[in-house]
Amino acid sequence: MSNLFFVALPYIALTVLIGGTAYRYWKDERSWTSKSSEFLGKGSLKIAGPLFHVGLFMALGGHIIGMFVPKSFTDGVGLSEHAYHMIALGGGIPAGIFLCLGFFLLMHRRFDKARMKVNTSLIDGVLYAVLFLTIATGFGGTLLSAVGLLGDDFNYRECISPWLRSVLMLSPDVSLMENVPIIFKIHVLCAMATMILFPISRLVHCISGVLAPVELFMRSPIIYRRK
Amino acid sequence: MKIKAQVSMVMNLDKCIGCHTCSITCKNVWTNRPGAEYMYFNNVETKPGVGYPRGWENQEKWKGGWELDGGDLKLRTGSKLSRILKLFYHPEQPELEDYYEPWTYDYETLITSPRRKHQPVARPRSLITQRRMEIKWGPNWDDDLAGGDSARADVNLKKLGHEIALEFSDIFMKYLPRNCNHCLNPACVAACPSGAIYKREEDGVVLVNQDICRGWRHCIPSCPYKKVFYNWKTNKAEKCTFCYPRLENGLPSVCTDTCVGRIRYMGILLYDMEAVLDAAKTSDPKMIYTHMLDVIKDPNDPAVIEEARKAGISEAVLNAAKISPVYQIIRGWKLALPLHPEFRTLPMVWYIPPLSPIAKNFEDKVYLPNSEAMRIPVAYLAELFTASNTQIILQVLQRLLDMRTVMRRKEVGESAPQGLEFDTCEYEKMYKLLGIAKYSERIKLPAGLQGKTHEQLRELQGSAGYVCPGGCC
Ligand code: SF4
Ligand code: SF4
Repeated sequence: MSNLFFVALPYIALTVLIGGTAYRYWKDERSWTSKSSEFLGKGSLKIAGPLFHVGLFMALGGHIIGMFVPKSFTDGVGLSEHAYHMIALGGGIPAGIFLCLGFFLLMHRRFDKARMKVNTSLIDGVLYAVLFLTIATGFGGTLLSAVGLLGDDFNYRECISPWLRSVLMLSPDVSLMENVPIIFKIHVLCAMATMILFPISRLVHCISGVLAPVELFMRSPIIYRRK
Repeated sequence: MKIKAQVSMVMNLDKCIGCHTCSITCKNVWTNRPGAEYMYFNNVETKPGVGYPRGWENQEKWKGGWELDGGDLKLRTGSKLSRILKLFYHPEQPELEDYYEPWTYDYETLITSPRRKHQPVARPRSLITQRRMEIKWGPNWDDDLAGGDSARADVNLKKLGHEIALEFSDIFMKYLPRNCNHCLNPACVAACPSGAIYKREEDGVVLVNQDICRGWRHCIPSCPYKKVFYNWKTNKAEKCTFCYPRLENGLPSVCTDTCVGRIRYMGILLYDMEAVLDAAKTSDPKMIYTHMLDVIKDPNDPAVIEEARKAGISEAVLNAAKISPVYQIIRGWKLALPLHPEFRTLPMVWYIPPLSPIAKNFEDKVYLPNSEAMRIPVAYLAELFTASNTQIILQVLQRLLDMRTVMRRKEVGESAPQGLEFDTCEYEKMYKLLGIAKYSERIKLPAGLQGKTHEQLRELQGSAGYVCPGGCC
């Protein structure tokens, strides 16, 4: 089971993410959109949209540091484990609050108004469920481990992070995931589900969102194109 | 000088009868799809009135078009950085309510209703949610009203303050058909974060590439004329295409073709691309129109022709430019004006301001009043077409009045009045083009964009289905 979830699935997810996204770009760019629903009614979007995205960026940044800056490095520069976790929580807790609040408001707006249904497909529904689970397990797990409920010797920087790096180095070490609490295991699985959903859902707009500023700053204001 | 060709349109407002045929034919061709029900690439509004979407002219609210910032041109919607923040939430994005909620009726109940004491009724149903709805506003709710709340809410009237009282005896109205202006300095193009909107090299038509559009919806508030629309089904932006598949075959847009009042003229303008920015930057908004005229170049000037050839403009397009009715009206007789030049997008759909109704008061027995005494206040027309420069409006109205005077004198056998701006024969030509011109004289478009002549295209008739008109596939 572990082998399936933490050896095979990550590669399947990565393949779907990259291959699927490329396929959608070449074959079905016409459906590639941010799927904004602002037109149908603004509602709480003014607060909820930015709140959710800011929370997301903060969480993403935290994950990148947590996953890719090895413990040996922070130990080397003399940052104590305790200090590291305080910093991580200092960023993580606000991020979690923003995310949860933003997500709640967005979902309320989406499922409250009849009109919003026309902008919500089945795949959107699945995506929201997975996102909900991802946020709940991620934020929940972080809080639980902060108050020590996940056991004293659990430290994601000694199991999940090296496991992820081992997967990316193409020599997956499944034993690292053995003693990870179930809540984080679910979190990791949700992350992979999100990757699989990425090419077939509105999530593709993340790429466009990153590219849009580049495009906007690089190009001349008026574009001329030949037929 | 860098010459480019632009397909342009002139509308002679004196002749618009407000029949909405243009809107309907356009809708039947372009926007009768799910997601686009509420869109009118072409709409006709009654002025004074709020228009479609409601209050579109109020740039304090929508932040459309350009503004001068210390001599530099910048989008009203904000700097590049602030626009990137607007990716997450766009404060100026119009909502469905600003247009109207499209609906249909339950026609079936008329047939399937059991026998009852009363006639069955077809009740309205939203085309968006498919639920029953109450109709509160529609695309032409204030059609022909001219008075009342809607007229009072007209931004142009508000700008004039108390100068124009909406006393019943003074009430005036006119129609304003509007489609995308295919601007020379389009704000929609500049605002798009993904570079999806572009101006075509060949004919200046502004199009949204449906593949590249990511639904960031920045073009929609940015267009000061609110002529880009958000398709709630495909989640992409759509706009008037000037019927480019028709243009490519030498045919005018559908709205022009079907115009009942024959108010629309289409043809080629040659313009100097390098002069566009300076015209848009004109410091005094009242002078933008005058500078726009300088951007348009004389198609019979050998220097211009030489430059145009260098820029790769085909002979077919050059020939069409030489006989262009829109050039004659815009630059030749200076009769047509751009709508709201102060938005600084340099629109390429031009309007001949209306004279009629000719007498201000019913009791006035004059045949032709002077240009200040029209029923539609000159100041109001100036708000619409010249950034409140009444001088230009008076000049244009005078030319139109002179034309009428010359033609009247001719009919009754009197000699022409003295001190006219043009020769009498020029007024006769003007009368012919504005008054009685046939389709082929109002519309002069080259068929060269596909490299095929009209004759070759005729041979292709019927050889292809709807998916590939003109036999392109
Ligand atoms: S009128 Fe047309 S070309 Fe001009 S800014 Fe609006 S959409 Fe763009
Ligand atoms: S079809 Fe012509 S006359 Fe009728 S409303 Fe449209 S522009 Fe005016």
